[in-house]
Amino acid sequence: MASKLQFFIGKGGVGKSTTAALTALLTSVAHRETRLVSLDPAHNQSDIFQRQFTEKPRSICPRLRVMEVDTEYWVKQYLQETQTQIKKTYRYQSAFNLQDCFNILQFAPGLEEYAMLLAFEHIIQTSQDTEEIIFDMAPTALTLRFFSLPSISLLWLEELLKLRSRIYDKKEIISRIKLGPKNLEQDKVKTKLETMITDFKKLRALFQSPQTGVNLVLNPDTLSIAEARRIRTKLEHLGLKITRVIFNKVPPDGNAQKTRQVFKDLPWVRFPYSANNLKGLDELNRYIQIHPQISEILTS
Amino acid sequence: MSSRDLQNSHFLQGLKTRVRQWWSLADQVARSKAVGTIEYEAEELDHIFGLLVLGMFIGMPSPPIHISMALFPLMEEEFTLMLDKITTAHDPLAELFSTLDID
Repeated sequence: MASKLQFFIGKGGVGKSTTAALTALLTSVAHRETRLVSLDPAHNQSDIFQRQFTEKPRSICPRLRVMEVDTEYWVKQYLQETQTQIKKTYRYQSAFNLQDCFNILQFAPGLEEYAMLLAFEHIIQTSQDTEEIIFDMAPTALTLRFFSLPSISLLWLEELLKLRSRIYDKKEIISRIKLGPKNLEQDKVKTKLETMITDFKKLRALFQSPQTGVNLVLNPDTLSIAEARRIRTKLEHLGLKITRVIFNKVPPDGNAQKTRQVFKDLPWVRFPYSANNLKGLDELNRYIQIHPQISEILTS
Repeated sequence: MSSRDLQNSHFLQGLKTRVRQWWSLADQVARSKAVGTIEYEAEELDHIFGLLVLGMFIGMPSPPIHISMALFPLMEEEFTLMLDKITTAHDPLAELFSTLDID
């Protein structure tokens, strides 16, 4: 069974984590097996539910499990695996000299979003029994880098494969002329490039598929609306569509008409402002009871 | 068969072997010459590919790091060559002498 994926994105502080937590509670109450995953390195879910979460999903009420992704763990794990492979394929001396490089590589730019992607793939593979996976995302910049990683990687991989294929074809000609019609050994680099292209295409297709929903969270203020518009444009360039706008922290007398005009073509759910701090399971459940209209998120 | 015939037969056999050897050598030379340019081109493309993927290890801009890391374990030859090139870059005269086989 393919799980339905829901991403919560938006400007820092608009309430991505709270609206993601409330949505996760609503889906679990609606008898759907749900997993809430925090991909935000700041990890607000522990503060919201007032419990400690780790990489291991923790059940907090029937049909709802919560986990927080530790990107540092995934970076270390990934570098460790690469190093083990290098030790297997390289001669001892070269592998030994590379240790210093690896100590620095864990801080290399670009690894954080790749670690997020590795964690994401792992979660998809290990959540076959889950109907809904809700992702509480990092602030805009990191989230956009995360979503664009498959497309950017494919650009590079396809160009590298073209070059590698040219090299392989020329080597094949040389081998045929010099040694006759013997088959040239399969190029491992070319094979690896082809495998990576297939994997990233699958990932890009998953991001763009109808089973994936992107919830754009915003507040009634000009800055968050302006950033939401930019996010929409960027995601559309990547072939991702916003499936829903969540207008969060709407004051009781709030006039949302102006904002509604900006995103008039998209489904829309209002999450009213709460004077109480939404912390702890009881407080979240109370909010749901006071504002039953937010359950529109399950149908819109 | 008379001894003269035998001598002739040996001579012909020897001649045939020598012609075959000569032909084989000429064929090898011709084949080497024919692919010389392609070989040089393939080698240069190999260098470019190595620099493209592993350039970050010598301070050059490179593709997203996970691509370099995925291919790194499979590219020891290119990596070693790149490191050698850096070493010889500091002493180009020594490299020239070594290429020309001058002690």
